[in-house]
Formats: sequence, C-alpha cells, structure tokens
Amino acid sequence: MSSPKVQLRLNGMRKSFPGKEAATQVLDGLTFDIHERDFVSIIGPSGCGKTTVFNIIAGLVDPDDGVMLYRGQEVESLRGRVGYMMQKDLLFPWRTVLDNVLLGLETKGVDPKRALDTAREYLSTFGLSGFENSYPKMLSGGMRQRVALIRTLVLDPDILLLDEPFSALDYQTRLYLEGILMEAVETFHKTVILVTHDIDEAVALSKRVVVLSQRPARVKAVHDIALNEHSPIAARSDPRFSGYFHTLCAELDIQTRKSA
Amino acid sequence: MTETAQVVKTAAPVRRREKKRRNVFDSLIGRSALQILAVVGFFLLWEAAVRWGWLSGFLVGQPSGVLRNLIGSIANGSLFADTGYTIFEAILGFAFGTVIGSVIGLALWYSVFVARLVEPFIAAINSVPKIALAPIIILWFGTGLLSKVALAISLTSIVALITAYQAAKDADKDLQALLFSMGASKQQIFKRVIAPSTLPAIIATFRINIGFALVGAVVGEFISSQHGLGHVIYVASSLYDLNTVWAGLFTLMLVGFLFYHLVEVIENWLLPWKQQQGGTQINV
Ligand SMILES: Nc1ncnc2c1ncn2[C@@H]1O[C@H](COP(=O)(O)OP(=O)(O)O)[C@@H](O)[C@H]1O
Ligand SMILES: [Mg+2]
Repeated sequence: MSSPKVQLRLNGMRKSFPGKEAATQVLDGLTFDIHERDFVSIIGPSGCGKTTVFNIIAGLVDPDDGVMLYRGQEVESLRGRVGYMMQKDLLFPWRTVLDNVLLGLETKGVDPKRALDTAREYLSTFGLSGFENSYPKMLSGGMRQRVALIRTLVLDPDILLLDEPFSALDYQTRLYLEGILMEAVETFHKTVILVTHDIDEAVALSKRVVVLSQRPARVKAVHDIALNEHSPIAARSDPRFSGYFHTLCAELDIQTRKSA
Repeated sequence: MTETAQVVKTAAPVRRREKKRRNVFDSLIGRSALQILAVVGFFLLWEAAVRWGWLSGFLVGQPSGVLRNLIGSIANGSLFADTGYTIFEAILGFAFGTVIGSVIGLALWYSVFVARLVEPFIAAINSVPKIALAPIIILWFGTGLLSKVALAISLTSIVALITAYQAAKDADKDLQALLFSMGASKQQIFKRVIAPSTLPAIIATFRINIGFALVGAVVGEFISSQHGLGHVIYVASSLYDLNTVWAGLFTLMLVGFLFYHLVEVIENWLLPWKQQQGGTQINV
C-alpha cells in the first residue's frame, strides 16, 4: 500500500487567548495531517482546543504561529473552501429550508437558476422535498441538522469540518444522521474532519482517530481504524470495534483522572 | 408483590388538575362586548354626572356635546382636513425619522471605531427632551409643515437609531461566523445576517415611533399652526371649549389606535417567519 497523499497539513499551530490574569495557551505546536478522502475524528477532553483548531482552519481565528499547507501550498486558511458544521444547526430563522440551503451558493455568487436546481436536487436526495418552504422553527431537531448538513454539502467543499454535529440529538436520530453522512461522504468523495466526544461515533465512522491531550493540545496518539463495515450500525458490531473503543477510552480516561 | 397490588387497588385515583377553563367571555365577540360595554358605561356615567350637576360641564365637557361637536366638524369637513393634516405631518416625520435613524444605526455596525467614537454623543442627544427643541425648530423651519415634520423626526430618529445599532451589535455571532467561513464579505454578512436580524427590532420601534411622531406633530401645532388637530385642541382649550378639546383628543386616539394595528399588519407581512408559533402558553 502506497503512503496516502496529504491533503491538509497543520504544522506547529500555536494559539493563546488573552485571559484575565495570564493568557491561556490553547494550542502549543499542534501538528497533524489529513489525507485525501480521509475521515479523521478528533477526540479529546472538552476545552482542549478542538473548536479552536476548526476556527483556525476555517479562517475565523488567526493562529499566533504555525503553517497550514493545502496540497503542498502554504495557505492562510481554507476560508470559503470548507464546509463548517457546528453543534447548533445555525439555520437562519428568517429563511425557509430552501433559502437556508441556498445561503452558501448565494454567497459564492452561483447563478441563481443553477443554484436553485442544485438546492432542490439535494433536498430531494436527502428526503426533504416538500419542506422547501417551511421555516426552521417548524422542523424537528434531526430535520434541522439534516438541513444544516445539506447546506454544508451543497457547497461542494474541499473539506468538511464537523464540530460535534450530532451531539444534541437523541441516539436514534444520531445513528440515522451518521448513516446519511457516511452515504454522502462516499457519494461525493469528501474529506471529513469530525470533532466528537462520542468514542463510539469516532470508531464507527472514521478511518483514523486523533486523540488530543489536555490544554495546551498536542496530538497524543493517532489510531488507524480498520473495520470492514462502514455503515454506522454494522460497524458497531464489527469484532474489532470494542478493541478500538477500549483503547480510546483508556487513553481519554487517563487524562480525565489526571485533571480531576 | 401483593402489597403493591393492594396499594394500587385501595389508593384513591389521583384527580388531575382540571384543565383551566376559559372565561365565558374569552372570545372575540365576548371581549368586544365587554370592551364596548365599558366604554358606553363610562360615557353614560360622565353624561349623567354632568346632567345631575356632580361635575361641571364647563371644566370637564360633556359627551353629548363632544358628539355634537364631532358630527358638526365632520359635516363641515374641518375634522377630516385637520386630521389629515396632522396625520400627514406624523407620517412624514415617522417615515423619515425611522429611515434616517435605522440607516445611521446600521451604518455604525460597519465601523466599531466610529461607533465607539460617537456613542457618548448619541447618549447625550438621547438624554435631551426633544420636545424642548420645539421652539428652536419652529424658529429654524418656520410655522408650516416643515417644522412639525422636523420635530417628529427629532423624536423618532433617535429611537430608531439606538434600536437598530443595538440590534445590529446583538446579531448572532455564530451565524456571522458560519457565513464568514463560507467566504462571505462584510457586505454579504451585513445583507444576510445583520439586516434581517435587526428588522424585528426596527419594526418593534414602529409602535413607539408612531406615538412619538404624533407627539411631534401635535406639539408643533400647539406652538404655532393654522391647521391640524393640535391647533384645534390648543385654540379650543384657550377658549375653555372642552367639548372641542375632547373631540380632537378622541380623534387623535383613534388615529393612534389605527396606526398601531397597521403596524401589526406590516409586521406579519414582513416577518412571516415569526408567525405560526402555535399559541402555546404556560397554563398558570
Ligand atoms: N475567542 C476566545 N477567547 C478566549 N478564550 C477562548 C476563545 N475561544 C476559545 N477559548 C478558550 O480556549 C479553550 C479551548 O476552547 P475550544 O477550542 O472551544 O475547546 P473544545 O472545542 O476542545 O472544547 C477554552 O478554554 C476556551 O475557554
Ligand atoms: Mg468545542
């Protein structure tokens, strides 16, 4: 097997936020690679800087130091090229479902006619036709997050940044949306970075799992996950699933005990 | 096992709190009937009190006189002319005040530096009772339409400005971040997040500002004017013609009332996403 091509490399990322007394060092030389068509989960104690990493990649936060390489080219950020999805669905309440999906296409300046066709096509692919003219407040949590996922995918981003996207949902809905996500990733050949606190989810979905340490975050371990099954439910019954699960649990447990 | 079964058998069924029963009059017709009853009762009491000499008709007026007065001024057309004049002033003042204020308030969002710079001045201007400016405004803008509109603008624009600026500052940061990560420019963020999320706040000021615009128009007319309801009220009260004063006041009240409901219509039309809440209210 040839070594996989690196799509995104973070090298020596440093970031501190000014605090009341001393500055909080959140990232202290964080380095990791994302491969082409990778599916990487990032797990780590809460407050260790996972969201900050995403904000840096998306261009919302400027790092103090460090280099970002995209397919070998140094870039400032991937702003405009990432699909960022957060725990809150962040649907615009004054926009209908259709207009929410159109948001990114409008921003990109896509021809309105084509944008409309694309948006409708995605909505029907994900089983939301008929809801085009509903406002977000009329939808269930799972449906809203599905719309948010469509809004992210319809832009055809280079990399998906998913920051605990399903953590506010009940288990059933989460399994369902995980399935939708995996199908979409396979259909559209997307690279995904997923932040989750759910080890279960990380193992079931990912090709690799990056474990971060306490703040300031550094990479504690990277695990390759080799399951035969990649649908979320089948993966959970793979014989190797529990092995990975316990390894990762142990890694996080040690840290939580230390911090307690 | 048996014990629990016995408990279940012997325990008296818990009575669920009865659903709160709605008042028999709690329907559109019922409420309207009560409201009309209150108004009619009030006027009858007033009329009776004056007739039976409990109140001085000279000092408080008399409903029958007010009614006669209203009918007379409708017949000779003066009521419509004066009302129209005042409404025209108020609407111009309201429209310009709201637009000017909102535009400046939203523009301040663009530059944090400028906003911080002018914040104390806005607070200072806001703390001046604008009505106190009326004499100067009339000095500057004359005794005609312009001075009343200017006065109404001075009252309404500052409300719109402060509200729009505050709402723009409070606009959801996460929505802005999301759009920014999609590559949106500041202008696009303004158009897609700031403007729509300030709209409800700006529309909420319509209710207050309709009242303020009427205050501006009427006070302007008090000070110097040949037309308008304020003029009518002012002249009549200096002649101790209380019935005409009441006729003018009730007309103003009706105008304000109608405008208030017009705002509701505009609100529903401009903010369709705010509706369909399904009238759930905590049943306390
Ligand atoms: N804009 C900010 N200003 C100050 N502190 C911040 C800011 N963003 C994040 N932090 C701090 O950085 C640390 C890491 O935050 P975050 O990246 O959100 O953690 P995680 O997503 O891993 O839970 C936290 O202690 C948080 O308080
Ligand atoms: Mg986070």
